[in-house]
Amino acid sequence: MTKTAELLPGTLDMLILKAVSLKPLHGYGVLVRIRQISGDALEIPQGSLYPALYRLEHHALIAAEWGQSENNRRAKYYTLTAGGRRRLRDETAGWNRLASAIAAALNTTSEEV
Amino acid sequence: MFKRLRSLFRVLTRRREFEDGITEELRFHIDQYADELVRSGMSPGKAARLARVELGSLTNIKGDCREAFGVHLFDEFQRELSYAARLLRKTPGFTATALLTLAVCFGANLTIFAVIDSVLLRPLPFPEPGRLMTIFNTYPKAGVDRDGASLTNYYERRGHLPALASLAIYNYGTEIIGEPGSTERDPTMRVSPDFFSTLGLGPAIGRTFTEEETTSETNHVAILSDAFWRQRYNADPNVIGRLIRVNSVPRTVIGVLPPTFRFLSSDARVFLPLASRPEDRLPSRRHAGGNVIQMIARLRSDATPAQAQSQIDAQDAALEVDDPQAKMIADAGFRSLVVPLHADHVAAIRPTLLLLEAGVLVLLLIGTVNLVNLLLIRASGRVKEIAVRQALGASQGCVVSETLVETTLLTLVGGLLGLGVGAGGIRLLDALGYDRLPLGGRIAFDVRLAMVALVAAVALGVVLAAPIVWFNLRRHLGNALQSQSRGGTSGRTAQILRQSFIVAQIALAFVLLAGAGLLGLSLQRVMAVSPGFQSDHILTGQILLPWADYSEAARLTFVESLMDKLDHLPGVLSAGVANNVPFSGNIGKSAATVAGHVRRPGESARGHYSYGVAGDYFRAMGFSLRAGRFLTVDDSRRPERVCVVDEDFARYYWPHASAIGQRLWDGSGAGKDAEAFTIVGVVGGVKQAGLTENEAQGAIYYPYAFRIGDSIFVAVRTSLPPESLGLALQKVVRQIDADIPVNDLRSMDTRITDSLVARRSPALLAGLFSGIALLLTAVGTYGVLSYAVSQRRREIGVRMALGAQPSRIRSQFLSLSLRLLAGGTLLGLIGAWQAGRAMRTVLFHVLPLDLPILAGAACVTGVVCLAACLVPSQRAARISPMEALTEE
Repeated sequence: MTKTAELLPGTLDMLILKAVSLKPLHGYGVLVRIRQISGDALEIPQGSLYPALYRLEHHALIAAEWGQSENNRRAKYYTLTAGGRRRLRDETAGWNRLASAIAAALNTTSEEV
Repeated sequence: MFKRLRSLFRVLTRRREFEDGITEELRFHIDQYADELVRSGMSPGKAARLARVELGSLTNIKGDCREAFGVHLFDEFQRELSYAARLLRKTPGFTATALLTLAVCFGANLTIFAVIDSVLLRPLPFPEPGRLMTIFNTYPKAGVDRDGASLTNYYERRGHLPALASLAIYNYGTEIIGEPGSTERDPTMRVSPDFFSTLGLGPAIGRTFTEEETTSETNHVAILSDAFWRQRYNADPNVIGRLIRVNSVPRTVIGVLPPTFRFLSSDARVFLPLASRPEDRLPSRRHAGGNVIQMIARLRSDATPAQAQSQIDAQDAALEVDDPQAKMIADAGFRSLVVPLHADHVAAIRPTLLLLEAGVLVLLLIGTVNLVNLLLIRASGRVKEIAVRQALGASQGCVVSETLVETTLLTLVGGLLGLGVGAGGIRLLDALGYDRLPLGGRIAFDVRLAMVALVAAVALGVVLAAPIVWFNLRRHLGNALQSQSRGGTSGRTAQILRQSFIVAQIALAFVLLAGAGLLGLSLQRVMAVSPGFQSDHILTGQILLPWADYSEAARLTFVESLMDKLDHLPGVLSAGVANNVPFSGNIGKSAATVAGHVRRPGESARGHYSYGVAGDYFRAMGFSLRAGRFLTVDDSRRPERVCVVDEDFARYYWPHASAIGQRLWDGSGAGKDAEAFTIVGVVGGVKQAGLTENEAQGAIYYPYAFRIGDSIFVAVRTSLPPESLGLALQKVVRQIDADIPVNDLRSMDTRITDSLVARRSPALLAGLFSGIALLLTAVGTYGVLSYAVSQRRREIGVRMALGAQPSRIRSQFLSLSLRLLAGGTLLGLIGAWQAGRAMRTVLFHVLPLDLPILAGAACVTGVVCLAACLVPSQRAARISPMEALTEE
C-alpha cells in the first residue's frame, strides 16, 4: 500500500470540484477519481464525501442529475456549474500561491537569510 | 442567498424524493465499492461488510446531508410543533380556556381596530390626502360654530391665496333622477369645476365641469358615479353625450367617475355643477353661508396649514374693512378656519373611538395577563421535567424555542378563532349602525385586517413566551430538582408574580367596569332629557319639490292640498309641514333682527333656528303653547306678517316682558316696516340638533308662505303605530304628483333613538367588554387560587393532621383573596379616576368620579372575584389529611 496523506481542512471541496470538472461523475466515481488523480496519495474519509457533495449542490457550485451508471444502475451524476468553475479557478490560484509561498519558506536555507 | 432559499424550498416541497435520493445514492456507493473489493479478490460477504464499515453510519451521513441543505431546522421545528400540539392536547381544560381567551380578546380588538383603521388611520382615497383641507366660517359668539363657506368666499379666495394650490366648493343634496314614471331619489353633490382637480381624482371617462357651466342657464351637464353608471347604464362605454333627467330637467352626461371615487362619507350617485347667479357672489352675501356650501382646498406642496390660515385671516381682515356689517361680524367672533379635511370629518367620533380602542386594549391586557398566569402555573408543573432535560444536555436555546413554539402555536390558533369572532363583531357593528359613522362605509373585514391579526398573534406569542422562558431558565438546576420534591414549597418569586398579576387583572377589570358604568349613566342622563315636545306617535318624512317643476306658488298649492288630503286620512289626528323637523340632521341657523333691540357691549348677533311651517304643525309635533296662539292655515294667506317664537328666543330678548306683539325681521338688519313679522305666540323650547344640545339658540316659526324652500318635512300625529301610516302617506303624495317620493320616513321616536347611536353603541360595547373582562378575571383568579391550594395540599394536610380546623384553612385562603381584591380595587380606583378624566369629553352631565358607579363597580368586581375564590378555598378546607400525606 502506498503512503497516503491527511487531507487538509477545506481542501475536500476543491478536490471534488476538480474531479467533477473533468467529467460528470457519481459520488463513488468522485472518490475513485480523486484517488486516481492524486496518484493514490490522498485518501478521502468516505463518510464526509456525501455531505460535502450536498453542500456544494446547495451552494449551486455543482449540479446533480439522475442518470445510468456503466453497469446500468440509476445513479446521481454531478457536473460543474458556471459558478463552480469560477470557484475552482479561484481556489486553484489561491492554493498555488499558498503552496509556492510555503514551499519557498520551507526551502529557505540559513545562507539566504 | 436567493438561490439557496430556492434550493431549500425545492427540497422541502419534494421531501420524499430527497430522502429516497440519499438512500439510493448511498446504497449505490456501497454496492460499487463492494464490487470493486470483490474484483480485487475478497469474498462477497466480507466485501459488503467492509464497504458498509468504511462508509460509516448511514444515519449520521444522512443527517449531515440534510444539514447541508438546512432542512434539519425544519425537521426540528416540526418536531417541536408536534410536541407542543401533543402537550396542548393533553391538557384540554387549559388549552380550551387559553384559546377562548385569545379568540375573544383578538376578536374584540380586531373589530374595534377595523373601525379605527377605516375611520381614523386609512388615508382618504386621493393622491397626497394630507394636503387636503377644509375651510369654514365660524361665528362662535353668535352661537354658530360652523357656517360652511359662501359663494362670495369662494370667488374672493380663488387664486388669491398663494398657499393654496386649488380651491373648490360643494354641497350635498338629493335629486329626483330618471324618466317620468321610473324616477328614483338619489343622493347627489353639486360641485365647482375645480372640485375634482382639488381632490386629484377626476372622471375615468369623459371630462369635468368647466367654468362656463356654472350658471343656471348652462349647467345642464352631469357626471355619474361608477356605481350609478353600472346600474342604470349597464356600464355602457358610450354613455357620454346621452341625456339624463335630473328633477325633470334633461342634462347631458359628460363623465363617469372611477370606482374608487368616494368623497368622505357621501353616497352621491350623480354630480352636478354648482351653479349660481352673479348676485349670489356679491360681497353683501359673504356671510350668507348658512352651512349649506362647504369648501375644500389643496395646499401647495411647500405650504403649511398655518400659512394658509394666516393668509385667509389677512384676506378676511382686508375685505371686512368696507363691509357695512363689519362691526357685527367682528362681534360675532368671525373667523375662517383651515382644518385638515380628514381630521375634521372624523373629529366628532374620534374621542369615542379612541376610548373604545383603549377599552379593547385593556381587555387584551387582561387576557394576556391571564394567559401568562396560566402558562406560569403550567410551567411550574413542568419545572422538574425541564430541569431533568437540561441536566441531560438540552441547551437553553432548545428550551427557549420549545416555549416559543408552544405559545405561538396557541396564539396563532387563537388568532384564527379571533378572526372568526372579529368577522362576527363587524356584523354586530353594522347592526349597531356603525356603517353610518363618518367614513363608516369603509369598515370591512379584509386582507389588511387578517395581516394585522397574524402579526399580532405572532407578537403576542413572543410576549407570552418571555416570562415563561425567564421562569424556566432562571433557577438553578439543583434547586429546581429539589423544590418540587416531597415536602417542598413553590418558589416565592413565582408566587408573588402570579398574585401581582391577579391584582393587576382585578384593577383593569374594575377600570373597564367603571368606564362602562360612566358611559351607561351618561346615556341614561341623555335619554332622560326631554326633547321639548311629545315625540310619540309622530311619523315624519321628507319631500323634495324640484324648483324646475314647482314655482313658489305651486309649492304653496302642493302643501295645501297635501294638508287637506292628510286631514281626511283615517288615523291622522293632525298633520303639518315645516322646512325642517328636530333631529333631522340639518342644523342650519340664520339671523333675525328684533325691532328695538340694542345689542349690549360685547353681545353679538345670534343665529336662530328659522323655519316656515304650514298646516297644524305645532299640534302634530306636540309643541306646548306658552303664550298667545299657534300659527294657523290663514296666516300663510293673509298679508299681515306674523310669527311664533320659542321661549328661549323670548327669554333672550325680553327677559322681563311679554314677547307677544313684538316685531322682528327675517335676516340681518332691519328691513321695511311692512316686512316686519309680529310675534303672535310663544311655544316651548325644543331640542333641535340633539338631546345633548346645551345652548338654547332660540327658534322662529314663520308661516310657510314667507319661507318657502325646496325641501319640506311632513309631520303626522296619529293614534296608530306611526310606522304603519308610511304607505298611506306615500300614496297621498303620489296622488298629488306621481313623481314625488317621500324620503327618510321615520317616526320621531326613531329619529331621537337614531341620534343617540354615537352614545348608545359605545356604552353597549363597553358593557360587553367589561363583562368579558370580569369573566377573564374570574377565570384567572380561580386558576391561580386553585393552583395555590394544590401546591399546599401537603402543608394543609399536615396542619389538619395536627388539629387545624377546616374553617381556619378556608378563611386563610379567603383572606388571601380579599387582600388581592383590596389591592386590585385600590389600583382600579386610581385607574378609574384617570379613565374618567380622559372620558370627560364624551360624558354628558356625569362627573369623571361618580361615587355610586365606583361603589357599584367595586361590588360587582368583589362579588365575582370572591365567587371565583370560594370554590378553591372550599376545596382546601375539605382536604383529607390522610390522602394529602400519602399521595405522591
